[in-house]
Amino acid sequence: MQTTSITTPDTTPDTKLATGFSRRSVLGSAAAVGGAALGIGALTAGATPARAAGQRTMVNQAFEAHEIVRIGLIGLGNRGSGMARGWADIPGAHVVAVCDIRADRAKRVADDLVARGKTRPKEYGGERGSFKQMLDREELDLVYIATPWEFHYDQARNSMLAGAHVAVELPIATELNELWDLVNTSEMTRKHLLLAENCSYGRNELAMLKMAHEGVFGDITHGAGGYLHDLRALLFNDGYYTDDWRRLWHTRSTASFYPMHGLAPIAAAMDINRGDRAVTLAATATAPRGLADYRERFVPRDHRSWKEEYINGDRISCEITTSGGRTISAEHNVSQPRPYSRINSIEGSRGLFEDYVGGDSTGARVYAEPLHSGDTWRGFKELRQEFDHWLWKELEDDASGSGHGGMDYILQWRLIQTMRAGLVPDIDVYDSAMWCSPVPLSVESLAKKGKPVEIPDFTRGNWRKPRVGLDSRQTEMPPVP
Amino acid sequence: MVAPSFLARAALALTIALGGLLVAPAAITAAAAAETTDATDTVGVTIGAVDLDGPAIVEVPVTVRNQSTAALRTLTVSFRGPVGWQVAPASRSVSGAVKPGAGATVTFSVRVPERRPGFHLRTFTATATYRGGDGAGAAVGTRVERSGEPMADLAAAFNNTGITDESATAAGNFDGAGNSFSAQKLADVGLGRGAEVEALGATLAMPDVAPGTADNVASGGQAVKVSGSGNALVLLGSGSSFSATGTVTVFYTDGTSSTAETGLPNWSFQETDAHGATLVASSVGRNRPDGYGDAAYQYRVFANSVPLTAGKTVDFVVLPTNSALHVFAMGLAG
Repeated sequence: MQTTSITTPDTTPDTKLATGFSRRSVLGSAAAVGGAALGIGALTAGATPARAAGQRTMVNQAFEAHEIVRIGLIGLGNRGSGMARGWADIPGAHVVAVCDIRADRAKRVADDLVARGKTRPKEYGGERGSFKQMLDREELDLVYIATPWEFHYDQARNSMLAGAHVAVELPIATELNELWDLVNTSEMTRKHLLLAENCSYGRNELAMLKMAHEGVFGDITHGAGGYLHDLRALLFNDGYYTDDWRRLWHTRSTASFYPMHGLAPIAAAMDINRGDRAVTLAATATAPRGLADYRERFVPRDHRSWKEEYINGDRISCEITTSGGRTISAEHNVSQPRPYSRINSIEGSRGLFEDYVGGDSTGARVYAEPLHSGDTWRGFKELRQEFDHWLWKELEDDASGSGHGGMDYILQWRLIQTMRAGLVPDIDVYDSAMWCSPVPLSVESLAKKGKPVEIPDFTRGNWRKPRVGLDSRQTEMPPVP
Repeated sequence: MVAPSFLARAALALTIALGGLLVAPAAITAAAAAETTDATDTVGVTIGAVDLDGPAIVEVPVTVRNQSTAALRTLTVSFRGPVGWQVAPASRSVSGAVKPGAGATVTFSVRVPERRPGFHLRTFTATATYRGGDGAGAAVGTRVERSGEPMADLAAAFNNTGITDESATAAGNFDGAGNSFSAQKLADVGLGRGAEVEALGATLAMPDVAPGTADNVASGGQAVKVSGSGNALVLLGSGSSFSATGTVTVFYTDGTSSTAETGLPNWSFQETDAHGATLVASSVGRNRPDGYGDAAYQYRVFANSVPLTAGKTVDFVVLPTNSALHVFAMGLAG
C-alpha cells in the first residue's frame, strides 16, 4: 500500500508475552526501546519535545473524504472479533483484511463475515509480524487495533506509517515517550490516531456533555470517572485473555492501567484540550489484595498463576488538576468484588450529575438550579431525553443489540461517517494521549510518594482554542456509491 | 468635565446597553447595539451579534469605542457568556493607544450549545478596563440574544403537579419530596378547580385541570404571553423553599421591558408576608405520597405583585429562574 516516508527507524519491540517482562522500565513494557530509538529518551512528565521539521498540528484537521472506508483489523480475540461485525455493518465500510497472531481466529472472523453476506476479507496471521504483512500488502484507510495493551503502540505507529488512520483500543500506549511518539507520528504522517473510546459515546455521557455545554451545571468545577469493574473471574479464566496478558500487567507495575472509560467523558465535558488543559496528576494506590485473595479461594494450587506476585494496587486513584481550576478524580479498580461503575459524575456552580447510582431507568440522578429545588435528587430520564445527542436519536434502533448497550456501534458509525464525509474526528490523537497519560504518570507520581507530576501538553499550546469535538452538529452519512 | 466614578459609569454603560435590549427584545442587531455607545465623551463597549445556531464555535467581536477627548491606554477587554458557556480567551489586551474618536475590536470564541426548544434569553457581557479616556477606568457592554417564542398562556407552561386528590396522592410532587396540596382542602377555602380568586386587585383563576396533573409552573425562566395593561402583574402561588424569589421581566408590546424582584413564602412555616407576599388562603394538611396527612399544619397559597410601566401594554412575561417559586395563576391588576 501507499506509505509515508519518515526517517524514523523501525522500532518494533521484541515484546515478550507472559512472564518474561522486566520491571526495570516504568511499566515493564517494551516502551523504553521505542522511545530511545526515536531520540525521545526517558521523558519525564511535563516535558514537551520539539516538533520535527515538517510536523504540523492535527488540531481541526479533517479526514480526507473516503467514498468507501477500507478497514484492516489487528487482533481478533474477544474484543476484536466482537467489533468485526460492527465495522462490516456500517454503511460504506468494508472490512478488507483481518489479522491475528493466531491464524485460526482470522479465518473464523473471515468466515463469519462471509456468512453475513460480506466480501471475504484477506486473512493474515500465524506470527507476531503478520500485521506488518497486512500493512505492507493492503490499501487500508483505517486500521482498528484490539490486541493486548503491550502491542498497541507499535501496531498503531506502524499503521500510520503505512498510510492508514488508526483506531486503537485502550490504552493507545503505556509509556510517556510512546504517547509522544504517536502524537508526533500522527502529525508527521497527517493520519489520525484515536482511542476507540466507546464510552465517550454513551447515552448518559453524551447527554451530560450537552448539559455541561448548555450551562445546566453552571461553571464546571469537578468531575469523577474511572473503571470499577470486577474482572477477577475473567482475569483468572483460562483463555479469556489470551496468554493471561491482562492479569500479567498486575505483576509488572503499580499503575492506573485503564481509567479512560470514565476519564474521557469527564474530560470532554470539561473541554480538556478544547479550552482547558489537564496540568497535574497525583496518584495514590492501595495495597494489592484482591487478586491474591481471589486466587486463594477459587484457583487450584497447580494453576500457573500461583507463580505470580500481584503488585498493582486494587484501587489506583488519580487526582488531576486543570488550567481552569477544575479537578478530576480518575479511579481504577478491577480486582475487588463490586458492581460495575464508571462513576461518571460532574458538578459545578449550579448543579451536579451522578451516574451509576440507580436514580431511575437511566441509572443516574441529577440536581440543578433553577430546574430543581429542595435539595432532592431527580432521576435523569427527562433531562436525558431533552439533551439526547443526535447520534442516539438517529441510531438508537440500529445500535440496539450491539456491544456495550449500543456504544460500540455509535462509535463505529460516527468514525466511519466522519471519514466518509471528510469531517474533523470527534476524538483526536491529543485527546487520546491525554486520556491515556495516567498510565505512566500514575507510576511516576507513585514513585514520588504521590506528589503531583506535570501532565504534558500534547497539543503544544493548541488546547486554548475551543473546538467542537463530541458535541457535534447533526450531519448525514454520505450515500453508499 | 468631571469624570463620574467608575461604578457610576459602569452602571451607566450597563443601563444604556440594557436600553438597547428594551428597544429591541428580539435579537439586538449590531446597529441597535451600536446605539448603546452613542453617548458622547464616554468610552462605549459594543458586542457583535452572536449566532445561537449551535453546537458550534462562533467568533464574537467586541468593539471599544473611545468617544472621549483623551487616548485610551492599557486597554483590556474581558468577556462572559451565559453561565457555563465556554469563552476563550477570558480577556484580551489591546496594544497601543486608542485615540479619541477611534475604536478597537477584539474577538472572542464562544462555544454555543445546541439550540433548545422554547424561549431563551442569552446574556453576554464585555467589560473594558483602561487608563485615560473618559477617566472612568472601565466600561461595560451587554448584549442579550433571544431565541424562541413565549408560550401562549400559563397553562402551556405547567410543569409541576402541586394539587392531588386525597384518594390518589402519588402523582403529586410540589416540594420535590412527593408532597402536594390536597384538592379537597383547597376547595374548602375557595381554591377549587378553576375557582376565581381576587388578589391584590387582580381576578385570577385557579388551574382548571384535574387533580394529579400538571397544574403550576415551577419557575425556570419560562416566557408566557400575558395581554393587557394595568398597574401590576399579580402572581398566585406558593413556595417550596424559604427562598422562593427571583426576577420577573415584563416585556411590553412597544419592545421595552421592565424587571422587578418578587417572591412567595414557603407553603408552610414561613411568615405569610415574607418577600412582600400576601396570604390568599390556608388549607389544612397536605397530601403525602402515602396519603393525606400533616393535618396539624397549614399549607398556604399566596399572592405577590410586581409593578408595570404605566401606559404600556404587556406582551409577555419571563418568570424567575427559581423552581421553588410555583405559580398557579398570573394576571393583571388595575
